[in-house]
Amino acid sequence: MEQKKHWQSFGELNQSAAYNKDVKDEFREDLPAVEENMGLLDAKAPRRDFLKYLGFSTAAAAVAASCEIPVKKAIPFANKPEDVVPGISKYYATTYVQDGDVVSVLAKVRDGRPIKIEGNDLSPLTGNGTSARVQASVLDLYDTARLRFPLINGQEATFEAIDKEVAAAIAGPVVILTSTLTSPTTQDAINQLLAKYPGSRHVTYDAVSYTGLLLANEACFGKKAIPSYHFDKANVIVSLQADFLGTWLSPVEFARQYAAGKKLNEQKPEMSKHIHFESVASLTGSNADEKHLIRPSETGAVAVALLSAINGQEVTGIADKLTKEAVEHTAKALLAAKGSALVVCGSNDVNVQLVVNAINQAIGAVGTTINWGVTFNGRKGVDSDMARLIDDMKAGAVGTLLIHGANPSYTWPQAAAFTEALKKVKTSISFASKLDETAVACKYVIPDHHYLESWGDAEAKTGYFSFMQPTIYPLFKTRQWQDSLLKWSGATTDYLSFLKGYWSAKLGGETGWDKALQDGVLNPATPIVAGAAFNGSAVAAAVSAISAAKKGDKIELVLYEKIGIGAGQGAANPWLQELPDPVTRATWDNYVVVSPALARTLLKIDLNDNGQADAYEVNPPKKVVKVTCNGQSVELPALIIPGTHPDTIGIAVGYGRTERLGKSVVGTGKNAYPMSSLNGNAVSLVQGNVEIALTSETYPVALTQTHSRYDTAQGNRTEVMKELTLAEYKKHPTEIRDERAEELAPWGGLENFEKQGTIYPVYDRPGIRWGMNVDLNACNGCGACVVACNAENNVSVVGKPEVLRGHEMHWLRIDRYFSGDMDNPNVVFQPMMCQHCDNAPCENVCPVAATNHSSEGLNQMTYNRCIGTRYCANNCPYKVRRFNWADYTGADSFANNQVGIVNDVVLDMNDDLTRMVLNPDVTVRSRGVIEKCSFCVQRLQESKLKAKKESRPLEDTDLKVACQQACPTNAIVFGNANNQHSAISITRKENPNRQFYVLEQLHVLPNVSYLAKVRNLEEEKKEA
Amino acid sequence: MHLKYESQLREPLVMGNKDYHQVTEDIVHPIEAKPSKLWYIGFYIAVALLLFGIYAIYRDVTYGIGQWNLNKTIGWGWDITNFVWWVGIGHAGTLISAILLLFRQGWRTGVNRAAEAMTIFAVMCAGQFPIWHMGRVWMAFFVLPYPNTRGPLWVNFNSPLLWDVFAISTYFTVSLLFWYSGLIPDLATVRDRAFTKLRKKLYGIASFGWTGSTKHWQRHESLSLVLAGLSTPLVLSVHTIVSFDFATSVVPGWHTTIFPPYFVAGAIFSGFAMVQSLMVIIRKVFNMEDYITLGHIEAMNKIIVLTGSIVGIAYLTELFMGWYSQNKYEGYTFWYSRAYLFSPYGWSYWGMMACNVLSPQIFWFRKMRRNVFVTFFMSVIVNIGMWFERFVIIVTSLYRDYLPSSWSVYYSPTIWEIGFYLGTFGLFFTCFFLFAKYFPVIAVAEIKYVLKTSGEGFKNKMDKIEEQPLDTFIHDNAHAH
Repeated sequence: MEQKKHWQSFGELNQSAAYNKDVKDEFREDLPAVEENMGLLDAKAPRRDFLKYLGFSTAAAAVAASCEIPVKKAIPFANKPEDVVPGISKYYATTYVQDGDVVSVLAKVRDGRPIKIEGNDLSPLTGNGTSARVQASVLDLYDTARLRFPLINGQEATFEAIDKEVAAAIAGPVVILTSTLTSPTTQDAINQLLAKYPGSRHVTYDAVSYTGLLLANEACFGKKAIPSYHFDKANVIVSLQADFLGTWLSPVEFARQYAAGKKLNEQKPEMSKHIHFESVASLTGSNADEKHLIRPSETGAVAVALLSAINGQEVTGIADKLTKEAVEHTAKALLAAKGSALVVCGSNDVNVQLVVNAINQAIGAVGTTINWGVTFNGRKGVDSDMARLIDDMKAGAVGTLLIHGANPSYTWPQAAAFTEALKKVKTSISFASKLDETAVACKYVIPDHHYLESWGDAEAKTGYFSFMQPTIYPLFKTRQWQDSLLKWSGATTDYLSFLKGYWSAKLGGETGWDKALQDGVLNPATPIVAGAAFNGSAVAAAVSAISAAKKGDKIELVLYEKIGIGAGQGAANPWLQELPDPVTRATWDNYVVVSPALARTLLKIDLNDNGQADAYEVNPPKKVVKVTCNGQSVELPALIIPGTHPDTIGIAVGYGRTERLGKSVVGTGKNAYPMSSLNGNAVSLVQGNVEIALTSETYPVALTQTHSRYDTAQGNRTEVMKELTLAEYKKHPTEIRDERAEELAPWGGLENFEKQGTIYPVYDRPGIRWGMNVDLNACNGCGACVVACNAENNVSVVGKPEVLRGHEMHWLRIDRYFSGDMDNPNVVFQPMMCQHCDNAPCENVCPVAATNHSSEGLNQMTYNRCIGTRYCANNCPYKVRRFNWADYTGADSFANNQVGIVNDVVLDMNDDLTRMVLNPDVTVRSRGVIEKCSFCVQRLQESKLKAKKESRPLEDTDLKVACQQACPTNAIVFGNANNQHSAISITRKENPNRQFYVLEQLHVLPNVSYLAKVRNLEEEKKEA
Repeated sequence: MHLKYESQLREPLVMGNKDYHQVTEDIVHPIEAKPSKLWYIGFYIAVALLLFGIYAIYRDVTYGIGQWNLNKTIGWGWDITNFVWWVGIGHAGTLISAILLLFRQGWRTGVNRAAEAMTIFAVMCAGQFPIWHMGRVWMAFFVLPYPNTRGPLWVNFNSPLLWDVFAISTYFTVSLLFWYSGLIPDLATVRDRAFTKLRKKLYGIASFGWTGSTKHWQRHESLSLVLAGLSTPLVLSVHTIVSFDFATSVVPGWHTTIFPPYFVAGAIFSGFAMVQSLMVIIRKVFNMEDYITLGHIEAMNKIIVLTGSIVGIAYLTELFMGWYSQNKYEGYTFWYSRAYLFSPYGWSYWGMMACNVLSPQIFWFRKMRRNVFVTFFMSVIVNIGMWFERFVIIVTSLYRDYLPSSWSVYYSPTIWEIGFYLGTFGLFFTCFFLFAKYFPVIAVAEIKYVLKTSGEGFKNKMDKIEEQPLDTFIHDNAHAH
C-alpha cells in the first residue's frame, strides 16, 4: 500500500493542467501555418497554401492509411509488488456504505485497481446480493468530478492549512450534521468531538426520512428505532405504499427474503401472498400478486379500515367499493395467516404508522415477522431535528457546522432557507467528496475518501457488523472524515489505529481483527428473534386523526425515489442514469408518471386506441405538463404508466442537480424536492392539492422499451412470456408444458422437436454445455444484474441522445410486460440477454463468420473479425445484439472522431481516470462492430483453468457469471448443463412444468431457459 | 436486299426514310458536336449530388454508422432499401440485351445500348450501399475468399450476404462485357469519323482494332450470343439471391418463399420504368424520336403492366399467407405493420400498393401506352413505388418483430442517409451524362441490322409488293437506277 511508485500515474493527475497538456502533446506537433478558426481561403496565399495542404493531406492520408493504431505500451513492474500477480484478481472484503445503506461486499481488485463489486456471501443479511447502486459505486471512485483537494472558500488548500484554521475557528456549539451513520467507531469519534465542545450535538438527517415509522415505534414500543422485518417468514405480506423491493429501508435484504417465499417448489406448490396498495406504480407493486390502487391520502384510511376489519369491526371510511372489498379480503388473508403475516407501510405519517403497528400487533407479526431483537440502523433521522437545527442556525446558535453525507441545500423542502441559514454559521465544514449543493456553501470542504479507499465499520443491524478496508491508495488529496474529527477533538491517533484498537479490544487482539477484516462481516453467533411490549395507547388518537384528515383533492402527487438514483446519490453516475427504470423503462430523466385514465383526459392520449398508442410509443417526444404544488411548479414530460392511480401523479426526486457533480447531471431532469413539505415532525413526499396542466411543449424521453404488451391484435405471443396463477397451476400443473407441446406439435412435439424441427443433422454436444435458467418468480426486475453486466463487460455508456435513438449498448436488459387490465395490469419482468442458441440465426448470416459457435454451446462474437453488416442483429429474434454506432470508447482507429452524437458523458467515460474501471479481461469494443452477452466468457475461461490446474472436473462453485453473482434473489442459475449434478441441470429437472424457452418454436434452440411466472391468485388468469 | 420479310402490320422500328449513312449521322453526331447547355446544367447538378454523397459517406466512415438513424431494432434502413432498389433497376439492361436477343425481339435494338449502360451504372450505385453500410468498411475485403495470412479464417458460405458478393460482382462483370462488346463496332465507326488525332487514337484503342471484316462480325455475333446465354440466368439469379438476404432469415415478413420470383418481377418492373424515364428524355434531347419510337415505348409499357401485375399478385399472396398461415408474428407484420393504413408505416405500404399495383393498370389502354407524358410520369411513379416496396419489406418487418419489448421508435432518415442516396443519383447521372457525351447512345450497328427490314422507308418500299406483281416489284427494286 505504501509503495507510492505503484500509483505514480495517478499522482500525475494531480499535477497542473500545463503538465498534463505537455504529457498529452509530447509527440504531437501542430500543422505549420494552420491557424485555428481560419478558413482555407482566408489565408494570405491561398493557392500556394492550398497546394501545400493538398500535398500534406494526401501524404498524411497515405501515411495514416498505412499505419497501425498507435500502440500504448504497458511497462512491466521493475520490482513486482508483493502479493500482486499481474493479471490475477484479488478480492477484498469491504462494505458499501452510502448514507444509511450498508451492503457487505467484495471488491475485485485487478492490478491494484478495484474494478468490480460483488456481494459478500458471508453476510447473512445481503449474501451475494447487491443492488444496481452497489454495483455502480465502483464507478464513483473514478469520477472525474470528485474533489481532488481540500478547499477553503473554494480555493485549493492543504490539510495543514485547514487543520490550523479549523483549530482556531472551531467554536461551540458544534453541530455535526450527518445522514444516518451505522459505524460504531465513527459514532465514538463524533462523541469525542462533541464532548470537547459543550452544548454540541449530532443531528441525523435523511433525505428521504422514516420519521413517521421511527416516532410511531417510539410510541408503541418505546424505542425510536426500526425493527428487522422478515419477509421470508411471512406467508401473507401486505404493503401500503412501501416499495420494499426497490427503495424502502433495506431492499437488497428484503428482496432476498421475499424471493424465498416466492420461489416455487413444483412438487409442493406453495408461495407467499403479497397484497399491495399503492398510488404510483413501483417495483414492489409490479411484483405483487394483488395490487390495489389507492390515492396517497387514502393510505391512512386503508390502514384504519384494515385494522377495523382485523378486529372484526365494520369497515368504514372507504368510499370506493373495490378498495373496501380489497381491504376486507386482505384482512381475512392476514388473519388466516396469523403469526406469519406482515404489514409494512411506506407512509411518513406517524399516525398511519401507529395504525400499522397496531395491525401488526393484532396479526401477531411482532416477534415473528417483525423482530425487535435486532433493530435496523440504516435510518435514524427525524425531520423535526433538522428543522430545529435550521432554526438554531438562523438564530446564530450554531458556532460550527460539520456536514457529512447530508445535503439539505438540495433535499430539504425549503432548501434555500437552509442555505441562507448556513451563511449565519461562522465555521461550516463539509466532508462531501464532490462540490454538491451544500458543500459549495461551506467555508471548508475536506473531501472524504470513497468507501473503496477507506477504513471503517458499519452496523447495518444491531449485532451485524461489516468492515471496510481500502482497496486502493487514495487517488486524490482526500482524507477520511473520521481522521478530521479525531484530529480536531485533540486525539493523537488516526482513525485506522482508533478502529483497530476498538475492534482488537472487542475481538481479542489483532488476530481477531484480521479475521474480521478478511471475512468482512461479524455476525451474532445465533440469530436473535424477539418481540417487544406493545403500547397501543396512541392508536386511538391516531385513528381519529386519520379519520378527521382532509380527504384527497382532485390530483395528488407522490414524490418517489428511483432505484438507480435514490434520493439523488446516483444522479452523477452514468451507469445508473443509463439504467432503465424497471417500471417506466426510462433513462436519463425524471418525468411525471400519469395513469392511462389521466392521460385520456389530460394528455388526450388513449392507449386503448391503436393509432394513439402507436403515436405515443414510436415518438420519443412526450407532452410536457406543468405541475404546481406548494407554490412551486415544475414542467416535466408525462409518461403514461399503467398501474398508477387515476388521480395520482408521481415525480422522482434526485434529479436536477448541480452541474458540479459531473457530466451526467447536465440536462437530466428537474428537482422535485421543493414540492415536498414539512408536516409537523416529518417531511411529506406526498402532496394533495396539485395543479396539473398540459403545456404546448414536448420533451424527448429516452425510453429503452416502448411497447409493453405481448398480446397483439394478431394473437397473444405466449411463446415470448408465460405466466399463470397459482390456482391454475395447482389445478393443472402441466399447463405450461402442454402449451409448449402444442406449440411444437407440428414439429414432433417436445420430445422430437430438436430433430424434427430442422432438415439438418443434429449434433452431439459432449463436454461442457453452458446453460442458464432465469426464475421469473424470483426475479423482481431490480436491475442489479444490468449494472453488474456493465461493470464486468465494459459495456459503453452512450448518453441520452443515443438512448433516444435506440443505441443503448446494454448486453442484458430487463423486459417488462403488462397484461390484463390496462389500468391496473399484471406486470412481469423478463431478463433478456443473448440466448446462446445452439442453432443461432445470427451465426449463419454473417458473411465473415465473425460470430460462431463454440464447442461448449457459446455463441461467440469475434470483434476483430466483424465488419459490421448488422445482419446478425436483424436476424436475432431476441434483439440482444448491440452495434457500436459511434466511437463510444475512444478505441477507434480514426482519431478525433468523437464529435457530434458522442456527448460529454461518453467522453467523460473515456477519461483516463474513468477508464481505470475497465475490466482488463474484456476487450473494449471499437466503433463499427457488434457486441452482445458472452456469458462472461472471461469468467468461464478462468474457472476452467482453475479446475484444470487442480486436475478435476469443473464444479458449480468455480464460477458465477456477473448477473448471477449480483442477483439478490438468485433468480439466475448458470452452469454446465451436461453435468447431471450441476445446479442448472437440477433446476431444469426439478421444474419441468414451468420451464420454457422464449420463442422456442423458431428452433433456434436457446441455452437460456426461463421458469414461468406464477402469481399467487385464486381466480383464473384474466384474459386480455 | 435482306431476305427477311416483315409484315406490314408490324410497326416500323426506325422512322423516316433513312439510309445507313443517315443513321450514323443521327446517332454519332451528338458525340462529335459540342454538348448543349442543358447537358452542362444536368452534368453539373449530377456532379454536385455526387460530391454531396461523397461527403455523406465520408461522415459515415469517419464518425460511424450512428450518422444514420438506424437502431438496435432496425439494423438496415435506407441503406439496404436503396441497394435493392438500384439492383432492381439494374435488371432491365441485361433483360433487354440478353433475353430479348435470344427471343429475337428486333425492337430491343433501339433501347439496348442505353439500357445496358443504365444497368451498369445502376449496379455501380447499388454496390455502394452494401460496402459503405458496413461498420468497418476498411475491413470489407474480409468478404473476399482469397488465400490470406489471417490464419484459418475464411468467409462464411452460409451467408446470403456472401452470395450477394458473388452474384453482384458476376452480374456486373458480365453486363460490362456484354455492353462493351456491343460497343466495339460503334466505337470503330466513331474512330473512322474522327476529326482530331486524339479522338482517333482514343477511340482506336477503345475499339480494339475493329475493321469490320466478315471474320470480325462473325466472331462478334458469336460472342454476343455466348454472353447473352451467360447473362440470361444472371437476370434471374441476381435478384433471387438478393431476395435470399431476406428470405433465408428468421424475421417475420422476410422469411418468405415467394421472394425470388417476386423480387425478379419487381426488378424487371422497376428496371423498365427506369429505362422509360431515360429513353423519354434521350429521344427528346438528342432528337432520336426516329429510333426510339412510340412503338418501343409501347412495348416496354406492356412489360411494365405485366410485371406490375405479377408484383401485385405477389403482394396479395403474401397478405393471404399472412392470414392463412395463422402465424401471429407474420400476421402482425402483414396485417398490422403493413396493411393497416393507420399503423406507423401503413402509409408506405399503401403508397407502394398505389404506385406499383394500381397505377400501372392504366397501361391496359393503348392510348396511354403510347402517350409520352403519361409514360414518363408513370415511370417515375413506378420507381417511387418500388422504392416503397423495399422500404416496406425492410423497415416494416424489422421495426416490430418477435419481442414486443424491442419494438422500435419511429425511424426516419438523417440528412446523411438521404445524402448517400442522393449521392448515388449523382454517380448514376454523372456516368450517364458522360456516356451520352462520349458513346453512341443507340447501337448504330444493330439499328443498321434491322433498318432494311423494319425501317419505315424500307417498309414503305415493301408496300408495293402487296400491289405489284412480283416480277415488276423485283424489276423495280433489284436495280438501283
